[in-house]
Amino acid sequence: MTRFLITRILSAVPVLLVVSLVTFLLIWLVPGDISAELGGTDATPEELEAIRRRLGLDRPLWERALAWYGDLFRGDLGYSYLLQRPVLDAVLERLPVTLSLAGLALVLATVMGLMLGILAAVRHNTLADQGAMVTALIGLSIPDFWFGIVLIILFGVWLGWLPTGGFVALTDDPLGWARSMTLPAMTLALTQMGVIARMTRSSMLDVLGQDYVRTARAKGMPRGTVVFRHALRNAMVPIVTVVGVLTGILLSGAVVIETVFSLPGVGRLIVGAIQRRDFPIIQGGLLVTACVFVFVNIIVDMLYGWFDPRVRDGR
Amino acid sequence: MRRLDLIGTGLRVAVASGALALGAVLSSGTAMAQVMGGTAVFVQGSNPPSLDAMVTSSQASRNINMNVYETLYGFSDAIQPIPILAEGVEISADGLTYVFTLRQGVKFHNGKEMTARDVKASLERYRKVGATANLLAPVREIEITGDHEVTFHMVTATPTFLEAFASPRAPAVIIPEEDAEAEAGKTSLIGTGPYRIVEYVPDSHVTIEKFADYSQDTRQEGPDGFGGRKTAYLDTVTFRIIPEPGAQVAALEAGEVHILEQIPVPAARRLESNPDIVLEENMPWAFSVFIMNLNVPPTDNVKFREAVQVALNMEEIMAIASEGIFQLNHGWQYPGTTYDAGDIGAQYYNLADADRAKALLAEAGYGGEEFVILTDSNIPQHNKAAVVIAEQLKAVGINATINMVDWPTALNLRLQDTGWNGWTLQMGIEPYLGPVGVVATLTSPARPHFVVPDAALDALYQELISGPTVADRQEAMRKIQTRLYEIFGIVKLGDSGLMTARRANVKGYVPFRFPRVHDIWLEN
Repeated sequence: MTRFLITRILSAVPVLLVVSLVTFLLIWLVPGDISAELGGTDATPEELEAIRRRLGLDRPLWERALAWYGDLFRGDLGYSYLLQRPVLDAVLERLPVTLSLAGLALVLATVMGLMLGILAAVRHNTLADQGAMVTALIGLSIPDFWFGIVLIILFGVWLGWLPTGGFVALTDDPLGWARSMTLPAMTLALTQMGVIARMTRSSMLDVLGQDYVRTARAKGMPRGTVVFRHALRNAMVPIVTVVGVLTGILLSGAVVIETVFSLPGVGRLIVGAIQRRDFPIIQGGLLVTACVFVFVNIIVDMLYGWFDPRVRDGR
Repeated sequence: MRRLDLIGTGLRVAVASGALALGAVLSSGTAMAQVMGGTAVFVQGSNPPSLDAMVTSSQASRNINMNVYETLYGFSDAIQPIPILAEGVEISADGLTYVFTLRQGVKFHNGKEMTARDVKASLERYRKVGATANLLAPVREIEITGDHEVTFHMVTATPTFLEAFASPRAPAVIIPEEDAEAEAGKTSLIGTGPYRIVEYVPDSHVTIEKFADYSQDTRQEGPDGFGGRKTAYLDTVTFRIIPEPGAQVAALEAGEVHILEQIPVPAARRLESNPDIVLEENMPWAFSVFIMNLNVPPTDNVKFREAVQVALNMEEIMAIASEGIFQLNHGWQYPGTTYDAGDIGAQYYNLADADRAKALLAEAGYGGEEFVILTDSNIPQHNKAAVVIAEQLKAVGINATINMVDWPTALNLRLQDTGWNGWTLQMGIEPYLGPVGVVATLTSPARPHFVVPDAALDALYQELISGPTVADRQEAMRKIQTRLYEIFGIVKLGDSGLMTARRANVKGYVPFRFPRVHDIWLEN
């Protein structure tokens, strides 16, 4: 297992290097820079040029790239033009918001998706199956920003049960944190729940038709044990794959949800940086996000091994 | 169009009713007891780029900073320079010396008393990092001439200096001497205002707290523009950053927040009958303009530009772009202000005269060249105006196309000499600053918005800034407006406003260029 883990971590290094390089080149291709934001609409070309010189934006691309990678290998992600602070600090400060949002949404989506999918598979071709799949389809079809606003109006304005937005740190007030994260996590989970439900149903139907399941039933084993211990575990490999992919989608989807619910997460940080061309934040923020994504995929790979020993043993 | 008129009329009736009701309450006046204490939440859509007031001209920063920092001079409600931290100024007959005496006993948020050393150090820092550092360009030297007195020695007499110095755009605020060497954005955020900054979480909120040792300016009865007697009733005020307008409105309805800087007009219509919400127009807020590039065909031809001017239906453009919150105004100052040039140019405004436009296009020899309208996706007023302008110009035979990009890209492209013909822009703070603020963007030594300088306009700008009396400057402004309607390099579309909203229990709030959170209180 240790060897497996080391191999996966080492293979992530070139991925991150490619991500950082592509990010760097993409930023270079985007027209405009932060001098316009700092200078304002009535800045002269000379004033804008002075700002560029001060920030080193007038240097050739290769020189900036060398400086960026040099700093990166020393663990320095640069300094934000706009926030006037180290990029790493700014990103790490926002990361708990985004991770808790994506994590909660993932748990919600997985639990609800699995329940719906199992129900649909076990009650195949019944009203329950159709009801579960219609629910999943609705989840897949509703735009998350719209669903978020609907939840805000329903639970925030009409019922007054939950706040309409904003973030409370877990360390400050655990209950406040739970209240502030409920609606955003539900919104973000909705779409992903549909994907997981459909995948679970399909995978479970496949497994439930296998001989060993029929044998277990014939032996008189309780239905719950057959479904959850024998069928579900074998159906989990494709579901875990989907959950791994969804983590990336959740991280990117968090951008929209953070905007709707006014959460100060990494997504908003990066989008704000793109809108204002705060290059160090874009580069650093995307690299950290890529690291999180790669890390999650390593965990998914490890889970494969747990669910299916053949993967772990390299068979 | 009819629908928009109805929307506008409905809102105006509602707003007028709200204003009348507010007026009635205020006129009963002192019967309404101010309540000390409590916390109010103000909502804005954008994150403040910096809380170092000197270095940014962003409205999002100004909203907060002007409650925290103060300047020697600032604008009154009548947009005249009035002393704030200064006791007054004595200007020598030759205009080369300004002696500012300072108010005594003014405390910084760190408890230290403000002296001339802090003033000199602050203004020297402003020269280095100020976003509009050129406002101190006429000052050769700042000399400390007493514990509470500084003297400015000027390079040349500059009659408009005090107006420029009072500008709130990127204000020349007074901070402790200890912060004077701080790089841009790295001060300790200490000022002299009625509130002090206690927390800043980017993209989330800024919290300011009542400054117990605030030195009130007792020369006036109440607040006046950026100065006057300021009273902090609220214990704390939180400026929440909520980018999504729907979420802003929901938070207001739920009572989680108290004041919205701006509410979308459709939401305002829905809330018209809600007794818990007060709607009020902040009018005028900005100039809506359409700038042409004099460097490239077909806009290098004055007859073509005149054709564009007479072809446009400003009422239609403004109604759509501003969602009905506008006033028609051909002038390059707000109506009724000191430098309003009257009817000059009105004969070219809001004509929607297709026949005349076509005749002018023929006279210009227009052969169907592409007319590229540059606009951005970030500011709805810009792109909505661009769409209506394009359709109106197509109707008279102009081959108009729209190039919509994001805001930084638009700012970058408009600095190119070629590649665009027209650019839609909201001038927010410039018109408020008076004639110099607007005209400076159209003349040398800056790069004029319409790219190619106009020598006659440049000369008139010099006449404006050197005019020794108000009457001289008013005359210069009349000539400038005449010239602008001769060269047609920039089209005035109209004045737009903001619809603001607040909870009904917020009292004393008067919409202004920034949310004056002092002198407001919460009832119940």
